[in-house]
Amino acid sequence: MVEPFDEIIHQPLRLRIMAALNAMPAKTGLEFTRLKSLTGATDGNLGAHIETLSKAGYVAVEKAFVAKRPQTTVIQTSAGRAAFARHVAHLREIIDRAEGG
Amino acid sequence: MILQSKEAASALDEIDAISRKVRQSIVYQRASFSLILWGVLVFIGYLVTFFAPRHSFYAWIAVYVLGVAGSVAIGVFDRLEQVRKSFDWRLLSALLLFFGFGFLCTLTLGDFAPRALSAFWPIYFMLPFAIVGLWAARAFVFIGVSVMVLTLIGFFFAGPWFNLWMAFVNGGGLLLAGLWMRRA
Repeated sequence: MVEPFDEIIHQPLRLRIMAALNAMPAKTGLEFTRLKSLTGATDGNLGAHIETLSKAGYVAVEKAFVAKRPQTTVIQTSAGRAAFARHVAHLREIIDRAEGG
Repeated sequence: MILQSKEAASALDEIDAISRKVRQSIVYQRASFSLILWGVLVFIGYLVTFFAPRHSFYAWIAVYVLGVAGSVAIGVFDRLEQVRKSFDWRLLSALLLFFGFGFLCTLTLGDFAPRALSAFWPIYFMLPFAIVGLWAARAFVFIGVSVMVLTLIGFFFAGPWFNLWMAFVNGGGLLLAGLWMRRA
Protein backbone atom coordinates (compact mmCIF):
# COMPACT_ATOMS: atom_id res chain seq x y z
CA MET A 1 0.00 0.00 0.00
CA VAL A 2 1.25 3.48 -0.86
CA GLU A 3 1.50 5.54 2.32
CA PRO A 4 0.08 9.07 2.28
CA PHE A 5 2.83 11.28 0.97
CA ASP A 6 4.29 14.28 2.75
CA GLU A 7 2.31 17.39 1.76
CA ILE A 8 4.87 19.66 3.40
CA ILE A 9 7.77 18.32 1.35
CA HIS A 10 5.86 17.86 -1.87
CA GLN A 11 5.32 21.59 -2.54
CA PRO A 12 7.74 22.30 -5.48
CA LEU A 13 9.99 24.87 -3.81
CA ARG A 14 10.09 22.99 -0.50
CA LEU A 15 10.96 19.83 -2.43
CA ARG A 16 13.89 21.66 -4.03
CA ILE A 17 15.01 23.03 -0.65
CA MET A 18 14.86 19.59 0.95
CA ALA A 19 16.62 17.95 -2.02
CA ALA A 20 19.42 20.52 -1.90
CA LEU A 21 19.90 20.14 1.86
CA ASN A 22 19.70 16.37 1.60
CA ALA A 23 22.58 16.35 -0.91
CA MET A 24 24.83 18.00 1.68
CA PRO A 25 26.87 15.92 4.14
CA ALA A 26 24.93 15.22 7.36
CA LYS A 27 24.78 18.12 9.82
CA THR A 28 26.14 20.48 7.18
CA GLY A 29 23.92 23.29 6.03
CA LEU A 30 23.64 25.67 3.13
CA GLU A 31 23.80 29.41 3.40
CA PHE A 32 20.58 31.23 2.59
CA THR A 33 22.05 32.93 -0.48
CA ARG A 34 23.49 29.65 -1.77
CA LEU A 35 20.15 27.95 -1.25
CA LYS A 36 18.45 30.81 -3.05
CA SER A 37 20.64 30.42 -6.12
CA LEU A 38 20.34 26.63 -6.11
CA THR A 39 16.55 26.65 -5.89
CA GLY A 40 15.93 29.74 -8.01
CA ALA A 41 13.69 31.24 -5.32
CA THR A 42 13.23 34.85 -4.25
CA ASP A 43 14.24 36.02 -0.75
CA GLY A 44 10.68 36.30 0.57
CA ASN A 45 9.47 33.08 -0.96
CA LEU A 46 12.45 31.10 0.28
CA GLY A 47 12.14 32.56 3.77
CA ALA A 48 8.47 31.63 3.99
CA HIS A 49 9.05 28.04 2.88
CA ILE A 50 12.02 27.59 5.20
CA GLU A 51 9.75 28.77 8.01
CA THR A 52 7.20 26.08 7.09
CA LEU A 53 9.89 23.40 7.00
CA SER A 54 11.31 24.65 10.27
CA LYS A 55 7.90 24.48 11.97
CA ALA A 56 7.59 20.88 10.77
CA GLY A 57 10.98 20.15 12.37
CA TYR A 58 12.55 19.28 9.02
CA VAL A 59 15.16 22.04 9.02
CA ALA A 60 17.00 24.11 11.58
CA VAL A 61 18.01 27.71 10.96
CA GLU A 62 21.25 29.07 12.38
CA LYS A 63 22.06 32.77 12.32
CA ALA A 64 25.58 34.05 12.85
CA PHE A 65 27.83 36.97 12.01
CA VAL A 66 30.66 36.11 9.65
CA ALA A 67 33.11 38.95 8.90
CA LYS A 68 30.62 41.36 10.51
CA ARG A 69 27.89 40.26 8.10
CA PRO A 70 24.78 38.35 9.13
CA GLN A 71 24.76 34.84 7.74
CA THR A 72 21.80 32.48 7.81
CA THR A 73 22.48 28.77 7.43
CA VAL A 74 19.77 26.19 6.90
CA ILE A 75 20.48 22.63 8.03
CA GLN A 76 18.34 19.56 7.47
CA THR A 77 17.49 17.85 10.75
CA SER A 78 17.61 14.08 11.16
CA ALA A 79 13.79 14.12 11.19
CA GLY A 80 13.94 16.05 7.91
CA ARG A 81 16.34 13.53 6.37
CA ALA A 82 14.08 10.66 7.41
CA ALA A 83 10.97 12.41 6.08
CA PHE A 84 12.71 13.19 2.81
CA ALA A 85 13.88 9.58 2.42
CA ARG A 86 10.30 8.41 3.05
CA HIS A 87 8.98 10.90 0.51
CA VAL A 88 11.44 9.75 -2.17
CA ALA A 89 10.55 6.13 -1.41
CA HIS A 90 6.86 7.00 -1.86
CA LEU A 91 7.54 8.66 -5.20
CA ARG A 92 9.48 5.60 -6.39
CA GLU A 93 6.73 3.31 -5.17
CA ILE A 94 4.13 5.23 -7.18
CA ILE A 95 6.24 4.91 -10.33
CA ASP A 96 6.95 1.22 -9.71
CA ARG A 97 3.25 0.52 -9.23
CA ALA A 98 2.35 2.37 -12.42
CA GLU A 99 5.00 0.49 -14.37
CA GLY A 100 4.03 -2.80 -12.77
CA GLY A 101 0.43 -2.26 -13.82
CA MET B 1 -4.15 14.06 -2.56
CA ILE B 2 -3.35 11.25 -4.97
CA LEU B 3 -0.17 11.58 -6.92
CA GLN B 4 0.06 10.38 -10.51
CA SER B 5 3.15 8.52 -11.69
CA LYS B 6 3.96 11.37 -14.09
CA GLU B 7 4.04 13.89 -11.23
CA ALA B 8 6.10 11.47 -9.13
CA ALA B 9 8.60 11.04 -11.96
CA SER B 10 8.82 14.78 -12.43
CA ALA B 11 9.44 15.28 -8.69
CA LEU B 12 12.20 12.66 -8.75
CA ASP B 13 13.78 14.35 -11.78
CA GLU B 14 13.69 17.65 -9.88
CA ILE B 15 15.38 16.02 -6.88
CA ASP B 16 18.08 14.48 -9.11
CA ALA B 17 18.76 17.80 -10.83
CA ILE B 18 19.12 19.71 -7.55
CA SER B 19 21.26 16.97 -6.00
CA ARG B 20 23.62 17.08 -9.00
CA LYS B 21 23.86 20.88 -8.70
CA VAL B 22 24.67 20.68 -4.99
CA ARG B 23 27.25 17.92 -5.44
CA GLN B 24 28.88 19.94 -8.20
CA SER B 25 28.91 23.05 -6.04
CA ILE B 26 30.57 21.05 -3.21
CA VAL B 27 33.25 19.85 -5.64
CA TYR B 28 33.78 23.43 -6.86
CA GLN B 29 33.91 24.79 -3.32
CA ARG B 30 36.52 22.23 -2.29
CA ALA B 31 38.60 22.70 -5.42
CA SER B 32 38.47 26.49 -5.37
CA PHE B 33 40.81 27.02 -2.40
CA SER B 34 43.42 24.65 -3.82
CA LEU B 35 43.18 26.28 -7.24
CA ILE B 36 43.65 29.75 -5.78
CA LEU B 37 46.62 28.54 -3.72
CA TRP B 38 48.30 26.82 -6.67
CA GLY B 39 47.47 29.76 -8.94
CA VAL B 40 49.27 32.23 -6.68
CA LEU B 41 52.25 29.92 -6.10
CA VAL B 42 52.66 29.03 -9.77
CA PHE B 43 52.32 32.70 -10.76
CA ILE B 44 55.18 33.59 -8.40
CA GLY B 45 57.21 30.57 -9.58
CA TYR B 46 57.05 31.62 -13.21
CA LEU B 47 57.76 35.27 -12.39
CA VAL B 48 60.92 34.22 -10.52
CA THR B 49 61.86 31.97 -13.46
CA PHE B 50 61.40 34.89 -15.86
CA PHE B 51 63.03 37.68 -13.85
CA ALA B 52 65.61 35.72 -11.82
CA PRO B 53 66.21 32.40 -13.61
CA ARG B 54 69.20 31.59 -11.39
CA HIS B 55 66.87 31.25 -8.41
CA SER B 56 64.18 29.34 -10.25
CA PHE B 57 65.17 25.88 -8.94
CA TYR B 58 64.69 26.92 -5.31
CA ALA B 59 61.60 28.91 -6.18
CA TRP B 60 59.94 25.85 -7.70
CA ILE B 61 60.94 23.60 -4.80
CA ALA B 62 59.28 26.17 -2.52
CA VAL B 63 56.21 26.25 -4.79
CA TYR B 64 55.81 22.46 -4.65
CA VAL B 65 56.44 22.16 -0.92
CA LEU B 66 54.02 25.00 -0.08
CA GLY B 67 51.48 23.73 -2.61
CA VAL B 68 51.45 20.17 -1.25
CA ALA B 69 51.41 21.36 2.38
CA GLY B 70 48.66 23.87 1.60
CA SER B 71 46.54 21.34 -0.28
CA VAL B 72 46.77 18.89 2.61
CA ALA B 73 45.93 21.68 5.08
CA ILE B 74 42.92 22.71 3.00
CA GLY B 75 41.74 19.08 3.04
CA VAL B 76 42.08 18.95 6.82
CA PHE B 77 40.31 22.23 7.50
CA ASP B 78 37.69 21.84 4.80
CA ARG B 79 34.67 23.33 6.50
CA LEU B 80 32.32 21.09 4.54
CA GLU B 81 33.88 18.03 6.11
CA GLN B 82 33.04 18.88 9.68
CA VAL B 83 32.55 15.21 10.46
CA ARG B 84 36.01 14.18 9.31
CA LYS B 85 38.49 16.82 10.37
CA SER B 86 41.43 14.47 10.28
CA PHE B 87 44.62 14.25 8.31
CA ASP B 88 43.96 12.93 4.81
CA TRP B 89 46.74 10.42 4.08
CA ARG B 90 45.22 9.55 0.71
CA LEU B 91 45.48 13.14 -0.51
CA LEU B 92 49.09 13.42 0.67
CA SER B 93 49.93 10.05 -0.91
CA ALA B 94 48.29 11.05 -4.19
CA LEU B 95 50.25 14.31 -4.28
CA LEU B 96 53.54 12.57 -3.42
CA LEU B 97 52.95 9.93 -6.11
CA PHE B 98 52.04 12.63 -8.59
CA PHE B 99 55.11 14.74 -7.94
CA GLY B 100 57.33 11.66 -7.52
CA PHE B 101 56.41 10.48 -10.99
CA GLY B 102 56.85 13.98 -12.38
CA PHE B 103 60.36 14.26 -10.94
CA LEU B 104 61.19 10.73 -12.09
CA CYS B 105 60.28 11.75 -15.65
CA THR B 106 62.01 15.10 -15.66
CA LEU B 107 65.13 14.37 -13.61
CA THR B 108 65.86 10.73 -14.38
CA LEU B 109 64.12 9.35 -17.43
CA GLY B 110 64.03 12.42 -19.62
CA ASP B 111 66.48 15.09 -20.63
CA PHE B 112 64.34 18.21 -20.30
CA ALA B 113 65.54 21.65 -21.35
CA PRO B 114 64.38 24.45 -18.98
CA ARG B 115 61.76 25.58 -21.49
CA ALA B 116 60.43 22.04 -21.89
CA LEU B 117 60.30 21.72 -18.08
CA SER B 118 58.21 24.88 -17.87
CA ALA B 119 55.78 23.35 -20.35
CA PHE B 120 55.84 19.81 -18.94
CA TRP B 121 54.65 20.57 -15.40
CA PRO B 122 51.48 22.50 -16.25
CA ILE B 123 50.51 19.95 -18.90
CA TYR B 124 51.23 17.10 -16.49
CA PHE B 125 49.31 18.92 -13.74
CA MET B 126 46.31 19.66 -15.94
CA LEU B 127 45.99 16.22 -17.53
CA PRO B 128 44.62 14.34 -14.48
CA PHE B 129 42.66 17.49 -13.60
CA ALA B 130 40.88 17.35 -16.97
CA ILE B 131 40.39 13.57 -16.78
CA VAL B 132 38.88 13.75 -13.27
CA GLY B 133 36.65 16.54 -14.60
CA LEU B 134 34.95 14.09 -16.95
CA TRP B 135 33.35 12.55 -13.84
CA ALA B 136 33.47 15.33 -11.26
CA ALA B 137 32.72 18.62 -13.01
CA ARG B 138 32.87 19.72 -16.63
CA ALA B 139 34.51 23.03 -15.69
CA PHE B 140 37.66 21.06 -14.76
CA VAL B 141 37.85 19.69 -18.30
CA PHE B 142 37.51 23.17 -19.77
CA ILE B 143 40.14 24.67 -17.42
CA GLY B 144 42.54 21.73 -17.85
CA VAL B 145 42.36 21.61 -21.64
CA SER B 146 42.55 25.42 -21.94
CA VAL B 147 45.72 25.63 -19.84
CA MET B 148 47.29 22.72 -21.76
CA VAL B 149 46.52 24.29 -25.14
CA LEU B 150 47.69 27.77 -24.04
CA THR B 151 50.87 26.21 -22.61
CA LEU B 152 51.64 24.59 -25.97
CA ILE B 153 50.87 27.84 -27.81
CA GLY B 154 53.31 29.66 -25.51
CA PHE B 155 55.90 26.89 -25.84
CA PHE B 156 55.95 27.21 -29.61
CA PHE B 157 55.19 30.89 -30.18
CA ALA B 158 55.94 33.00 -27.06
CA GLY B 159 59.69 33.07 -27.66
CA PRO B 160 61.67 34.59 -24.77
CA TRP B 161 58.44 35.65 -23.05
CA PHE B 162 57.38 32.07 -22.44
CA ASN B 163 57.77 32.07 -18.64
CA LEU B 164 55.96 35.38 -18.35
CA TRP B 165 53.23 33.99 -20.61
CA MET B 166 53.03 30.93 -18.32
CA ALA B 167 52.76 33.11 -15.20
CA PHE B 168 49.55 34.58 -16.56
CA VAL B 169 48.21 31.56 -18.44
CA ASN B 170 48.92 28.94 -15.79
CA GLY B 171 49.07 30.94 -12.55
CA GLY B 172 46.44 33.45 -13.59
CA GLY B 173 44.27 30.76 -15.14
CA LEU B 174 44.22 28.67 -11.97
CA LEU B 175 43.57 31.74 -9.84
CA LEU B 176 40.66 32.90 -11.99
CA ALA B 177 39.24 29.38 -12.15
CA GLY B 178 39.39 29.14 -8.35
CA LEU B 179 37.66 32.51 -7.90
CA TRP B 180 34.99 31.56 -10.44
CA MET B 181 34.35 28.25 -8.65
CA ARG B 182 33.78 30.05 -5.35
CA ARG B 183 30.90 31.89 -6.98
CA ALA B 184 29.56 29.06 -9.14
